[in-house]
Amino acid sequence: MTHTLSRRALCISTAILSLAVTVPGLCGVAQAADGTIKLGLVAPMSGPNARYGAFSMRGAELAVKEINDAGGVDGQKIELYSADSQGTPVEGVSATRRLIDEDEVDFVIGDVSSSVTLAMQPVAEDAGVLLLNAASSNPKITYAAGVGGFKWTYRNYPTDENRAFVVAKYAAEQRGFTKFAVLSVDSDYGRSAIEFTKKYLPEFKGEILSEDYYKEGEVDFRSVLAKIRDSGAQAIIMYGLADTTPIIARQMIELGLAGKVTLIGNGEFNTEKTIKSAPTALEGAVEAAAWLPAWDSPESKAFVEKFTTTYDEAPNNHAYVHWDTVRLLAQAIHEAGGNDREKVREALSKIKYKSPVGEVTFDDHNQARLPMILLQIENGKPSIKGAYTAEIQYPAQ
Amino acid sequence: MFSTIIEQIVNGIVTGSVYAIVAVGMTMIFGVLRAINFAHGEYYMLGTFGAWFAVDYLGLSYEASIIVGVLSTIVVAYVVGRLVMQRMVGAPAEAGVLATLGIALVLQNTVILVFGGGYKFFSGGYIEPLSILGFSLAGQRILILVVCLPVFIGLEFMVTYSRMGKSMRAVSQNVECCEVVGIDVPKVVLHTFILGAALAALSGVLTAPVNVSVYGGMGELITFKTLPIIIMGGLGNVRGTFVAAMILGIAESLVATYVGLQFRDTVGFATLILMLMWRPYGLFSTQARF
Repeated sequence: MTHTLSRRALCISTAILSLAVTVPGLCGVAQAADGTIKLGLVAPMSGPNARYGAFSMRGAELAVKEINDAGGVDGQKIELYSADSQGTPVEGVSATRRLIDEDEVDFVIGDVSSSVTLAMQPVAEDAGVLLLNAASSNPKITYAAGVGGFKWTYRNYPTDENRAFVVAKYAAEQRGFTKFAVLSVDSDYGRSAIEFTKKYLPEFKGEILSEDYYKEGEVDFRSVLAKIRDSGAQAIIMYGLADTTPIIARQMIELGLAGKVTLIGNGEFNTEKTIKSAPTALEGAVEAAAWLPAWDSPESKAFVEKFTTTYDEAPNNHAYVHWDTVRLLAQAIHEAGGNDREKVREALSKIKYKSPVGEVTFDDHNQARLPMILLQIENGKPSIKGAYTAEIQYPAQ
Repeated sequence: MFSTIIEQIVNGIVTGSVYAIVAVGMTMIFGVLRAINFAHGEYYMLGTFGAWFAVDYLGLSYEASIIVGVLSTIVVAYVVGRLVMQRMVGAPAEAGVLATLGIALVLQNTVILVFGGGYKFFSGGYIEPLSILGFSLAGQRILILVVCLPVFIGLEFMVTYSRMGKSMRAVSQNVECCEVVGIDVPKVVLHTFILGAALAALSGVLTAPVNVSVYGGMGELITFKTLPIIIMGGLGNVRGTFVAAMILGIAESLVATYVGLQFRDTVGFATLILMLMWRPYGLFSTQARF
């Protein structure tokens, strides 16, 4: 008798308890869908690319803050979740999974590394979560997106194909270089940029005398620089990492290459810190970048000023592209009339977004049409030589 | 052509000197504890961070930063030595692997938490190139060479003649007998450990100006470059470590020049495999001791 009573008591109390748990829970979910937009950011917060990650995070944070302070997207605030990819595909995939499964984000921006973004694409595709890339330049990412396969991957960043062409053309036509040495990072970014350089160099009668790729974290370039010095190359084609550029530039001075061999390519040659580390080696260096702080447009200047006052440091390319991409996404959500994933994706395909470097539209491979800005270091300062947009010729399916 | 080879060999000797100073500490610690110190690269990193902190935050000169870097590492090594390494005397081998790997994670992530994960720029040191025998070398690299030789000669003498060195060798041969004849084994272990960590820190501070960047994960690479060296040199063998480090440094330099930079990191383990096929007990040991 006492048994049945206590069992009944147990049933009732369980029922009350589960009601008590589910009711506010339901309210909470309903509120979240109404009140906030959950945005995930995958970036290398530690490891050899941590610098990129820190800038990306700050750029995104600044954009989120600006949007939220202005009342959010149609009244909905953006909530930013970050996850560390450490710049490696394995960690990048688990970071993306964590954002999707645990934080339940609707949109993911990421990663900086092409190798990581390539690995994240299928994860976002399976989950039906929008992956908006802001900083990876390997052409393969959008070769495989849109009509190429991955419906949920978009990229708001120019590709290496454009970059390689612009740099090769400028180096050959304006600087008259014909003999090149390759020293790039051993990754999907470094290798693919060289692949496309090789495709275009013969048009400009250029030849490659030596080809070397360095591992992330490499610090000793004396051997390879001595080889380049003896080969008679006029320029080093370098698609490298920002953190390695000062090391290479300093060792160029050590080996007497400064002023004789010019760095061309990409790897943050234009920041004040890098130039200061080895001014003679970087003089005359040619770089193609998606953006740089000296870019002359009112919105861009306002961003540089705001970023500098907020973080006490001038922004780099990665800070800008993440800031810009969050704003692009906000406009897409606004045009979709809410954060319904499917509708936002459709809005993104049709969007005409006014960015500080020009109007952005997406092609059928979900690739944004964006210019590459070409600059040269003159008297220790970057000087802009022009912006070039190229329509990408996709390989036949 | 010939001068290129000579230049690359000089480059290799400089790289080898850095490896040698780090590796000799690791090999001595193995000698007394029978445990590979997987956290060894972390002391290299700590030394560099100490020096960077001294230059950037305290505004000290590079010379003073060497002392700050090495001393701060000695303090950390003393704590780790008292709390962890001394307890590993007579413990099974897997305890040593787990403990040192754990310490590596703790040290690395503490530094990342305190100073952030980004690269820091090391601004001290003698980076102006000097011309010697027709080769252009940064003054700092000559300093590394100049420091490396006396360090090794000093270590060789210490291990052979001093009481501390003799007790280190005794502990590496038989812990029980040492206890019977009154050698304070935990003390020897602690001293060896601190000496090894200090040498790693010294190597870190000396290379910081030419490697320019300082970051939390920088020790890992060093640990993995050092592993094949101490195995090649014969675990616990000071002279062998020196020769093995030079062989690896020169081999890496030649491979980077004539094969390609991307193959550089494979050199260590490839050389190790070749050498083990020829002399399975290490370069200088006539037979297996352990």
